Amino acid sequence: MIRFTNINKVYKPTTHALVGVSFHVKPGEFVSIVGSSGSGKSTLAKLLFAEERPTSGKIVVGDWDITQIHRSEIPTLRRQIGVVFQDFKLLGRKTVYENVAFALEVAGAANARIKEVVPQVLKIVGLGDKHGRYPNQLSGGEQQRVSIARALVHRPKIIVADEPTGNLDTVTSREIIELLKKINEFGTTVVLVTHDRDIVNALKKRVLTINNGKIVSDVEHGKYMLG
Amino acid sequence: MRTILRVIKFTGQSLWRNAWLSLITLTIFVLTLMTVNAVLLVNVVTSSAIKAVQNEVQVAVYFVPGTSEATEKAVRGYLLGLSQVKTVEVITAEQALQNFKDKNAGDPTVLAALDEVGGNPFGDAVVVSAKSPDDFAFIIEAIKTPEFAPSIKQTDYTDYQVVIEKLTSFTDKLRLAGLVLAGFFGLISMLIIFNAIRIAIYVHRDEITIMKLVGAQDWFIRAPFLLEAVLLSLLATIIMTGVVLASTKALDVPLMQYFGQANLSLWGYFTSNALVIFGGEFVGLAVLSVLTTVFAIRKHLRV
Repeated sequence: MIRFTNINKVYKPTTHALVGVSFHVKPGEFVSIVGSSGSGKSTLAKLLFAEERPTSGKIVVGDWDITQIHRSEIPTLRRQIGVVFQDFKLLGRKTVYENVAFALEVAGAANARIKEVVPQVLKIVGLGDKHGRYPNQLSGGEQQRVSIARALVHRPKIIVADEPTGNLDTVTSREIIELLKKINEFGTTVVLVTHDRDIVNALKKRVLTINNGKIVSDVEHGKYMLG
Repeated sequence: MRTILRVIKFTGQSLWRNAWLSLITLTIFVLTLMTVNAVLLVNVVTSSAIKAVQNEVQVAVYFVPGTSEATEKAVRGYLLGLSQVKTVEVITAEQALQNFKDKNAGDPTVLAALDEVGGNPFGDAVVVSAKSPDDFAFIIEAIKTPEFAPSIKQTDYTDYQVVIEKLTSFTDKLRLAGLVLAGFFGLISMLIIFNAIRIAIYVHRDEITIMKLVGAQDWFIRAPFLLEAVLLSLLATIIMTGVVLASTKALDVPLMQYFGQANLSLWGYFTSNALVIFGGEFVGLAVLSVLTTVFAIRKHLRV
C-alpha cells in the first residue's frame, strides 16, 4: 500500500531530516511511527501527502509513484489519503457539517452524495448532533473527531494521523485512538505518527521507530522503545 | 455548473462571515475611488475655470473715426470668415462712450477728464473673441491687410498679449499639476488597495492552507477570493457613483453661480460620461484587486 525506498530528505543547507528510510506498509495495516521531537517522523508523514518532496529515493502509494508528483496532481493524491493533524486544521468560519462537506465539495461531489455521506460520517465519529456548531464551540476531542470525519469522508484507503492526540488529554486521546482502531478494522490502512508512549504500548500494533532520521527498529506488535 | 455555484456560495459565505473584514476592504475601495473622483472633479472645475477665463479674453479693434459703415461691416464679415474667430461684436462710438461712463461712474476724476476732452473720443469698434487664446496673434495679423489697415486706429491686443501668454502658461502648468496629482493619488490608491487585499488574504492564510491539505485545487481556492474582489469593486463603484452624483447635483448651482458660467455642470459632466468614468473606475479597481489577490494568495498556495 505504501512503499518508501531509500528516502533521504535534506533541508537546506545541511539538515538531514531522513536518511535512507525504507519500509513497506501492507493494505489494512495499523502502523505507528514513533520518535522523539525532531526525529523526522512528521517529515515522513508530510512526504506521504506531498507537503514535502524527498531529496532522493522513491515513494509509492498504491500503484502511484508520488516521488516527483506534479503540482497539479497533489489535490488528487490528497483526496485519496485522509490526513488528521495535531492542530485539527479546521476551517474556523465553517460549521462542523461544512468542514466535512468541504472535502467532498472540492472534489466536485454531487450535492445528493454530500447530503448522504456527511451525516453518516459524523455519526461514525460521534458528532451526529453537532452539525451546526463552529469549531470554536467544540472541545479539543470533538474538533479532532471533525478532523477524522473529514479525513474519512472520501472513504480513503489510507489515513495518516500526525500526532492526532498531541493537543488532547489522556481520556480524549484514548477515545481518538479507539476511533482510529475502529476505522482500521473496517479495512483502512492507518499510519499513526506519535511520540505518546502509552498509546503505542496499548495499541500492540506494528511500530516503526525513527531516531535522527533513520529507522532504528520495525517491530510487529511492538512497543515504544525510546527512552 | 455545480462547481461555479459552489464558488458563488463560498464567496457569499466569506463576505457574510467575515463581515468586518469585507466592510473594511469595501471602505478602503470606496475611499480610493473617492480620491480618484475628487482629483477628477478638481480637474473638471479647473478646466472649466480656465475655459471661463479664456472666454473672457477679447480683443477690441478700434476704427478710425468716420470709417464708413460699409467698411466696418466688411471688417466684421472678414473676421467672421476666419476659422479662428468665435464671435465678433460691433460696438458703436455711443455704446463705447456709455460703457466707459458706466465703468468709471465712481471715479469723478476720469469723468472730469472726459468732459475736458469734449465730445466723444471713442470711435466704432469690434470686439473679437477667438476660439483659442493662441489664435489672437493670427487674427491681429490677419486684420492688418492693406484693405483694412487704414481704417484701423488701434488694437488693444498688445496689452492682452502679456495676459494671454501668462494665462496660457499658467493653465498649462495647472493641467500638468493636475496630471501629476492624479498620478500621485493613483499610485497611493494602488498601494492602499494592494495592502488591503494582502491583509485580507493574510487573515485567510490558514484557511487557504487547510483547503490545500484537504485536496482543493488552486483555482477552486482562488476563485471565491477573486469573485469577492470583483464584487467588492462593483459595490464600491456603485456606492461611489451614488455619492458623486448626489454631491455634484448639490454642487452644481453654487458652482455655476460662483463661476458665472451656465455650462459648468458637474452633474452634467458626470452623467454624460458615466459609463466611461464609473465603468472605467470599476474595471480599473477590479483588475487591480484581482491581480493583487492572485499575487497575494500565491505564496499561501505553496503547500
